[in-house]
Amino acid sequence: MTITAGPARTESPDVFHTPIPVEPDAGHRRLSTAKALQEAIAQQMRRSDEVLVLGEDVGAYGGIFSSTTGLLDEFGPERIRDTPISETAFIGLGIGAAVEGMRPIVELMFVDFFGVCMDQIYNHMAKIHFESGGRVTVPMVLMTATGGGYSDGAQHSQCLWGAFAHLPGMKVVVPSNPYDAKGLMTAAIRSDDPVLYMFHKGVMGLGWMKKNPRSIGAVPEEPYEVPIGRARVAREGSDLTIVTLGLSVHHALDVAERLAPEGIDVEVLDLRSIVPLDREAILASVSQTGRLLVVDEDYQSFGLSGEVIATVAEAGPSLLRHVSRVAVPDVPIPYAHGLEEAVLPSPARIEAAVREALA
Amino acid sequence: MTDITFPRMSDAADAKGVVVTWFVESGEAVTPETLVAEVAMDKVDQEVRPASSGTITIVVPENEEVPQGAVIATVSDPEGS
Repeated sequence: MTITAGPARTESPDVFHTPIPVEPDAGHRRLSTAKALQEAIAQQMRRSDEVLVLGEDVGAYGGIFSSTTGLLDEFGPERIRDTPISETAFIGLGIGAAVEGMRPIVELMFVDFFGVCMDQIYNHMAKIHFESGGRVTVPMVLMTATGGGYSDGAQHSQCLWGAFAHLPGMKVVVPSNPYDAKGLMTAAIRSDDPVLYMFHKGVMGLGWMKKNPRSIGAVPEEPYEVPIGRARVAREGSDLTIVTLGLSVHHALDVAERLAPEGIDVEVLDLRSIVPLDREAILASVSQTGRLLVVDEDYQSFGLSGEVIATVAEAGPSLLRHVSRVAVPDVPIPYAHGLEEAVLPSPARIEAAVREALA
Repeated sequence: MTDITFPRMSDAADAKGVVVTWFVESGEAVTPETLVAEVAMDKVDQEVRPASSGTITIVVPENEEVPQGAVIATVSDPEGS
C-alpha cells in the first residue's frame, strides 16, 4: 500500500489555518449525528487532498457505525482506504502519513481494541511533537466508537476516554449531538495536534440501535468549528449541576425535563472535550448551583469523574454543598442486558442521584 | 400534489421496511435537495428526497412497518393546488 505524501493539491497552502466560522447559528436543516460527522469529513476532503480516511470497513461498508457512509462513492479507494485487521499497522501508517504532511482520519473500529495498538497511539502519535521539540507535528484524527447499552459484551462496550485523557499529548473530544459532531470533527481535522475523536454509538442516530431523539438535530450546511476544549451548558438550572458527556448528556437532559414539573431545576453541562478540560465552565456552573453530580459512562475509579470533582475541590471546597457521581462500577461491562443496564449510568440511576443530592 | 413512496430496496414482492428517521415535519417546505427521511429494510439504509418542491405532509410515522412502494408522505405544489 502506498500513500502519496505531498505536495498535495489544496485550495491554498494555508487552508487549514484560515479561520472558518465558530459555532454559527444552527439553522433549520436537520441531520443525524452520523450524517453530520460524514459531512464534516467530506467537506474537509473536498478542501484538500491531504485529508484521507483509513480503517477497517470504512469503505464499502461505510463504517460499522456509519461514520464514513458514502465517502467511498465520492472520493474513491485511494482516499477512503479499507485496511487489514492490523491496528498497529494502519495506525502507524496514519502517523507516518501525518508526519509527512497529510491529515489522515484513522478509525479504530471499537475503542476496546486499543490494547493491540497502544504503542503506536501513546508512544508515537502522542509524543512525536514533544520529542522533536515541536519540529514535527502529527495532524491526525484517531476516530473511534465507544459505549454500551446494546449487549455487545465486555470487549465492545467500553468508553475508556479517561485512559486516553490520562496520557499527555492527545486532545480528546466526545460529541453528544449532530451539531457538535460536525463542528468537533472539522476542528479535529484542522488541528495540527493529534486528536482522539470518540463518538458514542448511542448518539449516532442509527435505526438499529435505541435512538434518542436528541441524536437528530439542526446542523449548519457550511463548514464550521466547535472549539476543542470548550464545554456547553446544554440546559440551564439553579439547583444542581450535572457534568457529563456523550450519551449521558441525553439521559441527563431527559431526567432534567422529567423533574422540572416538580420544581427541581437541573443544569446540564456537556463537556464535549476532555482534553483540554473546560475547568472554568465546571467551576462557573458549580459556583452557581453549589451541588455537583458527575455522570460518566466510563469506569468510576481513577478517571474523569474523579478529575472533575478534584477540579472543584482544588478551586474551593466551600463551593460544594453536595458532590456525587454516577459512573460504571469497577467491573467489566456485562453482556446480559439486565446486568448491563444495572451498571450503565441509566436515566433511573441519574434520577435517583439527583433526588438524593437535593434531599 | 406528488407522493413520496418507500423506495424499492428488495426483489421480494412482499418486502417491508420502516422509516427510521423523519428529518422534516409536516408543513415544512422541501425541495428535491432536501433530505427528508432515512428508511431501512433488512439492515440496509437509504436516504429519501422528494421529486418536487412544495410543502410536505408526513403519512407514515417512524418505525411503522410498510411495504416498499407505499406512500410515506405527500408534497403539495407551492401554489397550493
